[in-house]
Amino acid sequence: MSTALMLASAAAETVKEAKELEVNGALKVVKLFEINGTEFWLTESVIIQWIVILILLAVILILTHNMKVVPETKRQAAAEMLVEFVRDTVHGTMGSKYNAYVPYIMTLLCYIMISNLMGLLGLRNPTADVSVTGTLAIITFFLVQYNRAKTGKFKGYFKSFIEPLPFMLPFNIIGEFANPLALALRLFGNMTAGMVIGGLIYFALGNFALVIPAVTSLYFDIFSAVMQAYIFIMLTMSYISSAECD
Amino acid sequence: MEMTPETMKILANGILLGASALGAGTAMIAGLGPGIGEGYCGGQAVAAIGRQPEASGAITRTMIIGDALAETTGLYALVIALLLLYANPLIGKLL
Repeated sequence: MSTALMLASAAAETVKEAKELEVNGALKVVKLFEINGTEFWLTESVIIQWIVILILLAVILILTHNMKVVPETKRQAAAEMLVEFVRDTVHGTMGSKYNAYVPYIMTLLCYIMISNLMGLLGLRNPTADVSVTGTLAIITFFLVQYNRAKTGKFKGYFKSFIEPLPFMLPFNIIGEFANPLALALRLFGNMTAGMVIGGLIYFALGNFALVIPAVTSLYFDIFSAVMQAYIFIMLTMSYISSAECD
Repeated sequence: MEMTPETMKILANGILLGASALGAGTAMIAGLGPGIGEGYCGGQAVAAIGRQPEASGAITRTMIIGDALAETTGLYALVIALLLLYANPLIGKLL
C-alpha cells in the first residue's frame, strides 16, 4: 500500500463519518401509507406545516373568541392591533386601493412567522425547505401577473414588457422570473443558514454548549425569523404594486 | 510505488470530494459583497436619521428592504455552497 492510497482512504473514511454526523439537518421523509403497491411519502416540512396550521388555528380561535364592538378583553385588543398593523403597512406600501390584499398579506405574515419560529420547539423550520418558500414565491409571481393584467388589460400587459425601450424585452422577462426566485431563495437561505450555523455551534461545543448557543439562537431563531417574515411581505407588496400599469 | 486501478479510483474520488468542499468554501467569498452593501446601507440610514429624526420609521423600513435586496447575491452563493456540500450533483460521477 502506498502512502497516497492510505491518505486517500483515510480522507474517504472522514467524509463518510462527516456524512453520518447529520449536522446538515437533511430533510427526513416519512412513508404515509401504501395502496396497491403505490407508496405515498411525506417530507418532514409538510408534517411540521400541519403543526403550524394547528397552532395558527388555535391562536386565531383564542384571539377572536367572543368579540365585542368595543374591545373589553386584552385578547381582542391584541388581535385588533395586529390587524391594524398589517392594514397600515399595506396601505402605506401599496396604497389604500389595494385593501383587498390585506387578508392575504396577514395570512402570509402569520404563517411565515410561525413557521420560522418552529426552530424554538426543536423542530425543523418548514421554511428551510426550498419547496415551501418556492410555493409562496410562485403565489407572489401569479399575483404580480394578475395585477398587471388587471390594471393594464390586454394591451398594457404586453406593452409593459417593452418599456422603456423594445430592446429591453429579454431583460424584462428575465427580471419577471428572477424576482420570485430571489424571494424564495432569500427566505430559504436565511433560515437554512441559521439552522446549519446553529447545528455547527452545538456540534463544535459538544458538552460545553452553555451560553453561546443561546446568544446565536436569539439572533437566528427569533430576530432573523421575525425579520425575514416582515421582509417577505414587504417585498411581496412592493412587487405587486410596482406591477401596476398606468 | 505502483498505481493499480484500485488506487487510481480512490484517488480520483478523493480529489472529487475535496474539490467540491473547496468549491463550496470558495463560493462563499461572495459574502464580501453583501457585507459591504449592507454596511453602506446601514451607515447611510444612520446619517439620514441623524439629519431627520422624525422620519426614522420610514427610513428604517426602507433600509430593511435595501438590506434584504443587497443580501440576494450572497444567498445565491450560499445556495451553491449548500448544494456542493449536501446535494452534490458530482457525487453521481464517482467512479
